[in-house]
Amino acid sequence: MKATLHPITLWLSSLLLAIGVVVLSNPFVALAIVTLLAVLVHIRQDGSPWNSSFLLSLRIGAMILSIRTIVGILIGVPIPGTPIFTLPILDLPSWMPGIRIGGVVTLERLSSSLHEGIIIATLIALFGAATSLTSPHKLLRVAPSFIYEIGVTLVIATSLFPQLATSAKRIRTAQQLRGFERIRLRSIAIPLLEESLSRSLQLAAAMDARGYGVSRRRSRYRPQPWLLRDNVTILFASVVTAAMVLQ
Amino acid sequence: MISFSNVSLIYPQSTKTILEDLSCEIQEGEMVLVMGETGSGKSSLLRLINGLVPHHTGGILAGDISVDGISTRSVKPGSLAHLVGIVGQNPINGFVTDIVEEELAFSMEALNIPHDVMRKRIEEVLDLLSLSALRGRSIATLSGGEQQRVAIASALVMHPKVLVLDEPTSALDPIAAEEVLSVLHRLVHDLSVTVIIAEHRLERVIQFVDRIIYIEGNGETSIGVADEILRRSELVPPIVKLARALNLSEMGTSVREVRRLTESIREQNFPVAAPEVRNLSSAIEVAAVSYSYNQKIALKEISTTIHHGEIVAIMGRNGAGKSTLLHSIVGLHSPESGTILVNGVDPHSLKGSARRAAIGYVPQEPSDLLFAQSVGEECALADQLGCLHAGSTASLLSRLVPNISAHAHPHDISEGQRLALVLSIVLSGNPDILILDEPTRGLDYQAKNLFALTLKEYASQFNRPVLLATHDVELVAELADRVIFLAEGEIVADGSTLDVLLSSPAFAPQVAKIMSPKPWLTVSDVMRALGDNA
Repeated sequence: MKATLHPITLWLSSLLLAIGVVVLSNPFVALAIVTLLAVLVHIRQDGSPWNSSFLLSLRIGAMILSIRTIVGILIGVPIPGTPIFTLPILDLPSWMPGIRIGGVVTLERLSSSLHEGIIIATLIALFGAATSLTSPHKLLRVAPSFIYEIGVTLVIATSLFPQLATSAKRIRTAQQLRGFERIRLRSIAIPLLEESLSRSLQLAAAMDARGYGVSRRRSRYRPQPWLLRDNVTILFASVVTAAMVLQ
Repeated sequence: MISFSNVSLIYPQSTKTILEDLSCEIQEGEMVLVMGETGSGKSSLLRLINGLVPHHTGGILAGDISVDGISTRSVKPGSLAHLVGIVGQNPINGFVTDIVEEELAFSMEALNIPHDVMRKRIEEVLDLLSLSALRGRSIATLSGGEQQRVAIASALVMHPKVLVLDEPTSALDPIAAEEVLSVLHRLVHDLSVTVIIAEHRLERVIQFVDRIIYIEGNGETSIGVADEILRRSELVPPIVKLARALNLSEMGTSVREVRRLTESIREQNFPVAAPEVRNLSSAIEVAAVSYSYNQKIALKEISTTIHHGEIVAIMGRNGAGKSTLLHSIVGLHSPESGTILVNGVDPHSLKGSARRAAIGYVPQEPSDLLFAQSVGEECALADQLGCLHAGSTASLLSRLVPNISAHAHPHDISEGQRLALVLSIVLSGNPDILILDEPTRGLDYQAKNLFALTLKEYASQFNRPVLLATHDVELVAELADRVIFLAEGEIVADGSTLDVLLSSPAFAPQVAKIMSPKPWLTVSDVMRALGDNA
């Protein structure tokens, strides 16, 4: 087993870096951080099902980036600058002043859309990396036990997500193999919801039956000590963030 | 240890009484089997013991249950966690953490047990269930049998006086099931743990249990020693069926006992029946097929031919490649190398109605195909999809299960009825081949018989092949003509059911074990041979 950081360290560092990225708002720094995260996740992966959440967060980030760019090109206030190409302008009624769809696309407009998209995608990647390196379950183990209700809810939600993806895929293939030409949302959603609901109930029952929340205090089997390397990591993240904020 | 006094249970919005006036005492160190048809309330009875019913599920409970002197009415399930360990039907749905060791520690952490005690108990239980090699593994990567052992271990670390298990072997292959059951047997005998177990496959557990609680439906229950209950129950394992058919004076629940009683039969000489010669034409051709995912080889150069009219069972350990082989034949993915032809067509290219006419596939979770609001609507959809006369699917269904209501919601009907519904939807397209992935999980003997009859009729009437993956040895003995045995993605045995099942003791059905070395697999085989001889 690799020596691991305290779960809170990773989440806190992610949060700090996220603040820095937003304040600095420099897409090149943001991309550098994403690259760094990718390397880090690749080195530190331990084969748990959560490892794939970083990849998922990258995908979601890419999707947001492309939507943001397309919307930015189509709709919005014109920014003067070097024109790249012109789209036909859509006539809008007079009660919608200041908004236009289409028109001249300038380099500035394109770059500002890309810029914002990259910042958002980086934020998502930061949390994807934190999830993929410490499963939310581990985070929950260090959480105090008086938040019983929240704890149960969190465990259920976090275990359900990876399962939801695999179940959806399984149901879709089953229906494809049945020869449904068009797979509608309803035909997947109903078995999926049914299954997730019964699974959540089973999990809640299991946690209940195993005494979760009975005692006010919890003991720890493998206490995760707060070590020097946690301090160093947090310090490093803080310095980077401070540099980004104060520059 | 556990006492039920005048316990009755009904769920609101349901007219059916689950339990009525159940009174019994279960002693320390007893192993008790709860049996009954699917949906008769076995799980409810089990969950009454630690108070999950009614604290967690609702329901109206009369009477009182006490465990080690504590009434389940007065405390929440969590407060019984140190006393009652419960292992659900699908352990994977009850795991709270990701790593084996953390899972074992979970309950103890929740109850604030000191660290040194925790360390000691975890080491003990890891050894007891031979899990130490898996301690650091992620639970999601374990096989079904291993997960089941982790679930039992995480209940045992609490040193409970009562262990409750709901169908602990239903997803396991015969060898893994044996392993789990022998662990339970040892717990009962060495540690005097009281074990309450619900199970459909009586042949697996019957030899271990002391007493049986039989839920007869509509709330009636009877309690007694195994012999007494089985003498008059409708749900009986093959071993009892054999004893009944042979009119044996005594009943035995273990192979050893019944072997002693049937010595005279085995001593007789019987003419060896000549194997039937059938006109074989190939329906499915699998040639040198390999497949792998995540760099793990799932199928290695598999070649076989399935003929028309044949019922073929695919067996093997959990993770041996059964599902992958079925998926390749169904055409879910095309194989990395090699070819598969179903009646001369590549199954991967089939789509829409051509697919429905060529291949009928019942997935591992039959309910994946159900999304309508009622059984009637589901049948109507199938008619529409297959361009059939209105009502043809419904009439097929009513032949399988006569008393099913068309207004019932597909998720409210019993497991057996749901399988019948999916089967009739799939069969309504009149497919050229039929493929089923572990169809009989959670079915009782009657539902299984019905299912076997349907498949036999389909295969013989239309001379079409049926291919099924299953762990259920008794079903294979009743149903299949041929068995393909997979291990590590390779075919290790392929031959007639008789040859394959008799050649491995772990996979031999009960009747074969009793009658060995005679080549009989089922009760009807024995009776036919005896009848011929008389």
